[in-house]
Amino acid sequence: MILPSRSNASTVADRLAEIVGDRHVLSRPSELLVYNSDGLPGYRRQPRLAVFPGARDEAIAVVRLLADEGLPFVPRGAGTGLSGGSLADDIIVIGLHRLKDIISLDIENRRVTVEPGVVNLRLNKYVAPHGLLYAPDPSSEAACTIGGNVAENAGGPHCLKYGVTLNHVLAMTVVLPSGEVVELGSKFGEHDGYDLRGAFIGSEGCFGLALDITVKLTQRPQTVRTLLADFMSVDKAARVTSAIIASGIVPAALEFMDGPTIRVVEASIYAAGYPKDAEAVLLIELDGLEAGVSADLEVVRRVCIEGGARNVKVARDDVERLKLWQGRKKAFGAMGRLASHLIVQDAVIPRTRLSEILATIGAISKKYGVLVCNVFHAGDGNLHPNIAYNADDTDESERVHKAMTEIMNACIAAGGSITGEHGVGLDKMGYMESIFSDNSLNAMCELRGVFDPEHRANPGKVMPIHSCKEWNAVASAR
Amino acid sequence: MVSYVPGDLTLTVRGGTTLAEIGRVTGEHDQWLPLDPFGSDEGTIGATIATASAGPLATGFGLPRDLLLGLEFVNGRGEIVRAGGKVVKNVAGFDLSRLLTGSWGTLGVITEVTVRLYSRPKVDRTFAVPLGRGQKSTTELLRAVAASPLAPFALEILNGAAALSLGFGDNPTLLVRFGGNAPVVDAQLKAFSQLARTEEVEQSTWPALRKMDGDAASVIRISTLPTRFLTVASSILADTEPRIMISINPRRGIMRLVTQDDGDREPASIADPGISLDFPSDGEGAGTSVIFEKLPAEVWPVVSPSVASDPLSRGIKKAYDPHNILNPGILGH
Ligand SMILES: Cc1cc2nc3c(=O)[nH]c(=O)nc-3n(C[C@H](O)[C@H](O)[C@H](O)COP(=O)(O)OP(=O)(O)OC[C@H]3O[C@@H](n4cnc5c(N)ncnc54)[C@H](O)[C@@H]3O)c2cc1C
Repeated sequence: MILPSRSNASTVADRLAEIVGDRHVLSRPSELLVYNSDGLPGYRRQPRLAVFPGARDEAIAVVRLLADEGLPFVPRGAGTGLSGGSLADDIIVIGLHRLKDIISLDIENRRVTVEPGVVNLRLNKYVAPHGLLYAPDPSSEAACTIGGNVAENAGGPHCLKYGVTLNHVLAMTVVLPSGEVVELGSKFGEHDGYDLRGAFIGSEGCFGLALDITVKLTQRPQTVRTLLADFMSVDKAARVTSAIIASGIVPAALEFMDGPTIRVVEASIYAAGYPKDAEAVLLIELDGLEAGVSADLEVVRRVCIEGGARNVKVARDDVERLKLWQGRKKAFGAMGRLASHLIVQDAVIPRTRLSEILATIGAISKKYGVLVCNVFHAGDGNLHPNIAYNADDTDESERVHKAMTEIMNACIAAGGSITGEHGVGLDKMGYMESIFSDNSLNAMCELRGVFDPEHRANPGKVMPIHSCKEWNAVASAR
Repeated sequence: MVSYVPGDLTLTVRGGTTLAEIGRVTGEHDQWLPLDPFGSDEGTIGATIATASAGPLATGFGLPRDLLLGLEFVNGRGEIVRAGGKVVKNVAGFDLSRLLTGSWGTLGVITEVTVRLYSRPKVDRTFAVPLGRGQKSTTELLRAVAASPLAPFALEILNGAAALSLGFGDNPTLLVRFGGNAPVVDAQLKAFSQLARTEEVEQSTWPALRKMDGDAASVIRISTLPTRFLTVASSILADTEPRIMISINPRRGIMRLVTQDDGDREPASIADPGISLDFPSDGEGAGTSVIFEKLPAEVWPVVSPSVASDPLSRGIKKAYDPHNILNPGILGH
């Protein structure tokens, strides 16, 4: 990899400072500490420099300077990623949080154009007075950026009904690693030709920087009803989940929390009033036209009761609803009570296999003597088994990692995917070869090679480097 | 059929499977793939994805790219490539599924497709509204529908020629399709009836509308901001050129012009929509794209090269099909 030499770095820092101003370039190791991890504390990489453009033209100038110098870089939004995607190993971080303008809002056509640093929840607050919402709602919505959402193709609880980021992005302006600026997709409608917009979404910072993003907005539903069903067995809750999906009703959200998660949440400041003795709860939301929602609510309630729910409680008002949601959305935060480190997986399995896979996870956690908490997007089959642990305890770390590998392999064997929304980043690169053939990986490398021929944008992520034939040829010729 | 577990609401089939076959198999489990591209159900899923063809149901269920979960294709070097997967949510690797959608066979031969299914609605009804004749003005009606909480499965406006071909007389007509459980359909129908006088029509209206393309010489799709259609819809519909059947999807911001064959036209003029599109000039960001869905073979090379003329598209084509053997010429040279 091409890295700046130390002396070189200082001149690069000076030239970056000329573009963005002194205050917006960090080069002291102590200042850079904050950028040495993302939402997964298990990985640390120290960047060489961090630069924070304050305007679109500055971002373009920064990328052009790095292109001229042949320097690699890592885009970064809010750093809430859960796959180590925004870590920079002795290279330059381009932080985009200062690009936070909402550029234009078209209420009638239900679309908005924003800069990449706009925080997801802020966008939602901005459009709410117009009866609109931006549907993809990662649980990290209060902090994560739209740019980071696009790069990861983020999901969230309500993606069950409304679809993920990919289904809501119409267009974006991107600065390629070469410094060239391109428009992908179409702001005003549908377009012809290859879906480069689709190719860019989920490219995890490896295809360039998104400078502005145009997304579709959704009309706020007439009625929203939220249910909490609690169970004395994980298995029953899993079977009820599969039964609701198979019934054909598409809830707005269908989230699962197991006993250990419930107890951690209830002990924290995010306590939501979940029954502490339950082994599982399902948080189910239905929305749409009042008449349809009421009918579906009765069906869902019946499926829960017949499937062995102990109680089914329907939130009476928005205050109760939001409280039920707060426990779910802040569950990862609450895990901080358990230990300093947290490892989270993101596998997706076919929704008919939930009960079986949760049993397997239970068995694996017993085998390795680790506490797995399950809090996840059950309706999509998107699991998030997570384990809080002490990374300084080598024995515990080893057991945790072995358990996680075994869980992942069980999900892959069930016909699942290694990641539903968090991305591959650094964390899941090792699993790419267990789900994709050499030719498939190579085709992905080729696509990346078109956007970033020099592999300077977020190098060393997503694709195991040896899977890129062309890149290998270059490397071995050196 | 490669795999179908109804409880997962996903389906994996070989690329040559027809939409009719998919409809039959999923229908046995009260499920469907809500994808109704113009044309007929005798088309294959592979071609539907390759051409990104959507129909009226895109209003309620999205475009092919939104229903696609994964695929397998053979690239121009004869290598088998898989993208995406069989589960409903997946971000592993770069998104080749979206890349292949709408690539018109130029990047690979699609051999397998996995899609998301939906449960068939308990109730599914279609209503026609003759426009003009004592109704609210078309613009007013469309604005009222847009502002309402109505969530139709499909909403299409037909010009006189199109309405006539479907047996509705030669009056411009709005078609609306409501589906779901009984209460939700009833509630929508009630709300909609307050906006316009409607009449229920057969569900077979939709296949008939899709077949309108049948022996057309050209099909041109025009896409722009939905609101831009609101203001021009009335004048477009008033244009009574009997050779051109027009349908407008005001939600998607799409207008389709289906032109019947008349042998003596010059290639260049066939590619011309043939009607005037006086979209209001509302300045910023508003543009129009003209997409050719069907053209006589000899006209195609004249108009299509613009489709993939940018360096990224060219680079992708070169990487996936280095010898230019996949549908050569369709994107120009
Ligand atoms: C408590 C918690 C809950 C979470 N819940 C969810 C959830 O429900 N659903 C979900 O999908 N994720 C969830 N996440 C993960 C994370 O929030 C998302 O992946 C989010 O999209 C990351 O956004 P960010 O701005 O923090 O990006 P970062 O973490 O800063 O970056 C993520 C990736 O995006 C790239 N990137 C950032 N900005 C740009 C840009 N402008 N152009 C190009 N590339 C860019 C980076 O290089 C990196 O590869 C959760 C995280 C936490 C901590």
